[in-house]
Amino acid sequence: MSVKVNKELLRDLLKKLCELDGASGQENNIIKFIFDTIGDKCRCRVTPLGCVIAEYKGENRAASKLMISAHMDEVGLIVTGINADGTLNINCIGGVEADAVIGRQVRLENGIMGSVGSCAVHNMTEEQRKTAPKFDSLYIDIGAKDREDAEKYVSLGDYAYFTCGYAARDGVIRSKAIDDRAGCAIMLAMILENALPYDCTFAFETQEEIGLRGARTAAFDIEPDFALVLEATTAADVPLSEGDKRCCILGEGPVVSYMDRSTIYDRELYKLSIQLAKDIGVRRQTKTVVAGGNDSGAIHISRGGVRTCAVSVPCRYLHTPCCMINEEDYFDSYALSAAMAEEILSGRV
Amino acid sequence: MNTKELTELIMRIADSEGVSGDETATAELCRDELLKYTDDVQIKNGNVIANFGKRRKNKPHVLLDAHLDRVGLIVTSITEDGFVKADCIGGLDRRIFPAQRVVIHGAEDVCGVICTLPPHLKKDSSVMDKDSIYIDPILRRGAVREKISMGDLISFDSPCTELLNGRICGAGLDDRCGIATIIKAVSDLGGQYDTLPFSFTVLFSTQEEVGERGACIGAFDIDPDISIAVDVSFALCGGEKPSKCGELSKGCMIGTAPSLDRELSRWIIKRAKEKDIPYQVEVMNGMTGTNADRFSVNKCGSRAVTLSIPLRYMHTPAEVIDVADCELTAELITDFLKAGDNR
Repeated sequence: MSVKVNKELLRDLLKKLCELDGASGQENNIIKFIFDTIGDKCRCRVTPLGCVIAEYKGENRAASKLMISAHMDEVGLIVTGINADGTLNINCIGGVEADAVIGRQVRLENGIMGSVGSCAVHNMTEEQRKTAPKFDSLYIDIGAKDREDAEKYVSLGDYAYFTCGYAARDGVIRSKAIDDRAGCAIMLAMILENALPYDCTFAFETQEEIGLRGARTAAFDIEPDFALVLEATTAADVPLSEGDKRCCILGEGPVVSYMDRSTIYDRELYKLSIQLAKDIGVRRQTKTVVAGGNDSGAIHISRGGVRTCAVSVPCRYLHTPCCMINEEDYFDSYALSAAMAEEILSGRV
Repeated sequence: MNTKELTELIMRIADSEGVSGDETATAELCRDELLKYTDDVQIKNGNVIANFGKRRKNKPHVLLDAHLDRVGLIVTSITEDGFVKADCIGGLDRRIFPAQRVVIHGAEDVCGVICTLPPHLKKDSSVMDKDSIYIDPILRRGAVREKISMGDLISFDSPCTELLNGRICGAGLDDRCGIATIIKAVSDLGGQYDTLPFSFTVLFSTQEEVGERGACIGAFDIDPDISIAVDVSFALCGGEKPSKCGELSKGCMIGTAPSLDRELSRWIIKRAKEKDIPYQVEVMNGMTGTNADRFSVNKCGSRAVTLSIPLRYMHTPAEVIDVADCELTAELITDFLKAGDNR
C-alpha cells in the first residue's frame, strides 16, 4: 500500500500560501486563494465566520461523513494606538512572544513597511539588557512624522505581519505562517490530485489562533461523524532542550497525538494511524509532552461529539517569523492523512 | 547625486555583508563607486583609500572617514546535530535574537535562524545567555560541516526597505549611510578637486565595531591634518532619553567633545548657520566612541570632528534613518571642503 505524493505541487502550494498575509479575522487573502485553486473542483461556500467549506465529490459515496480541517489564519500583530510621534502601539494576535517581534521589519496590511525597533543597546542598563521585552514597550515605526501623518496611512485595528522570509534548501523549509498553511496546502493538494475515492468535506477554518473559533462553527455546520485535523505543531528539538522536552523531532515523521491541552483523541483512530503509517511506509511520531492544542478541541465536542484525529507537521519556532519544517515530514503528513481519510471514508473504521 | 540615487546607493551598500573582520564585499563595492570620481583608489589591509587633489605642503590635508563594517556574529563551533554556535561581533542586544533571520557566510551563503525555545520551555523572562547562541542552518545536517566552518561570519538577514517620508529601515545602515554620504559629497563636488583649499583622502575603514582598528592603521598611512569621522548617532525614539539623543530628520549631528577639536566643531556650526543648513549639536563628555577617537591621536595628532547621521534602533536589524539627514551631512562636508578653514 502506498500513497502517491505530488511533491512539486505540495512545495508550490505551501510557498504561495505562506507568502499570503492572513491573521485571525483577516483571512480573506487565503479564502480567495482557495477559491482560485479549487473553486471549480468542489462546491465551495463561506460560513458567516469566514470558513471555507469545500464539498469534494469522489467516485464513491462515503460510509461515514468525514470533515478534514486546517486553519487559514496565522499569528500576527494589531495596531492598538497611534502615538504623538507617529509610532504605532501594537499587541499580538494569537500566541506571539514579544521577543520574536522586536528588532525586525514588519509589513502593515496595506503594504507599508515598519520597524519594530528598540532603544539602542548602548543606552540600556544592565538590568534592561537582561529582561525580555513585553508588548507594551514595543511599537512600529513606519517613518511617519507625527500622529497626524500616521493617521493618513493607518487606522486603529489595522494588522501588521512578519515579512515572509521563505527559504528552502536540502529539504528544510523556513517561512512565516507554516502554521497552518501546511495543513491548507495538504488539503488543496488532496483535492487537486483526486487523492480520495470518496465524497469528503474539507473545511478551511478561521480564527484558530485566538481560540478555535472558526472550527467550532464549521463543525456545527458540517455535522461530521469523523474529523481529521491537519496542523503544524511545536518541535523543540534544539540546543538547550533535551529528552522528552523536545516535544517532537524534525525528520521523524508526522505527529499524531494521543492527548494535548484541548483534546483526548479518539483511541481507535490513534492506533489506526500507527498501523497505517507502517502499511504505507512513512515514519510517524507522537508528542512527548502533553502541550498545545488545535482545532480538534472545538471539533471533537461539536454537537453530539465527533471522533477526531490530528496529523501535524513538526515545526520549530512556531509562532515566530521563522517557522521551520522538514520537507519529508510534510510529504509524509500528506500521505498519512490521505491514508487515514480513505480508511475512515470507506467505512473500515 | 539626487535623493533617489542616494537612497539607492545607501540601500545597496547597507545590504552588502561586510561584518567586522571581512569587509571585502563592501570594500569592493565602495571602491567601484569611488572609481567614478578618481583613479587613485586602493584597498589596503581591508581599508578603502581614495585620494583627491594634489597634496601640497601649504595645503591642509583632510581625512573623510566612514566605517565599512557592520555588527554581526561569528561561528565558534558546530554541534553534533548540526547546530551552529555563535558569538557576537560588536555590541548586540540579545533581546532581539530569538528566531532572528541570519545569513552564515560560509563556503557559500547559508540562511539560518537563531534558535529559541517555545514559551512553555522558557524558564523565565530573562534573555538568551551569551554562551547559548545557536543558529539553525537551513541545510541538510550532513552538509553543515561541508559548508560552514569555525570563524565564518554571520550577518542579520534584513535587507533595506523604504518607509514613509524618505526614511529607510534595514540591518546594515550603521555606518553604510555614512559611506554613501561621503560618496555623495565627493560626487557633488563635481571634480576640480585641485582647486579646493584642501587636498583630501576618503577612508572607508574596517573593524570600527570592535575597536576602531581599521581607522587606526588607515590614519597612520594618511597622516591628515584634519579628520572628519562620518558615523551614525542615537536618534530619539521611544525608550531613549532626549538628553542622549539627536532627532531624526533634523539634520547632521555636529560633534563637540573634549576629544574633538573645539574650534573645528564651532567653525562647522558657524558655516551651517550662515548657509542655513539645518544641523544639531551632539555634545559628548570625553571620547566619542567613533573613529575620531583614533584620528585625534594619530601620529602627532590631528584635529578631529564627528559628523553623525541620526539613526534609530542602533545595532538592530531594523535600524532607521532619514535620507534627508544624509543629504544635509553631505552638504556640510562639501561646504567645508570648499570654504576652507578660515576661522
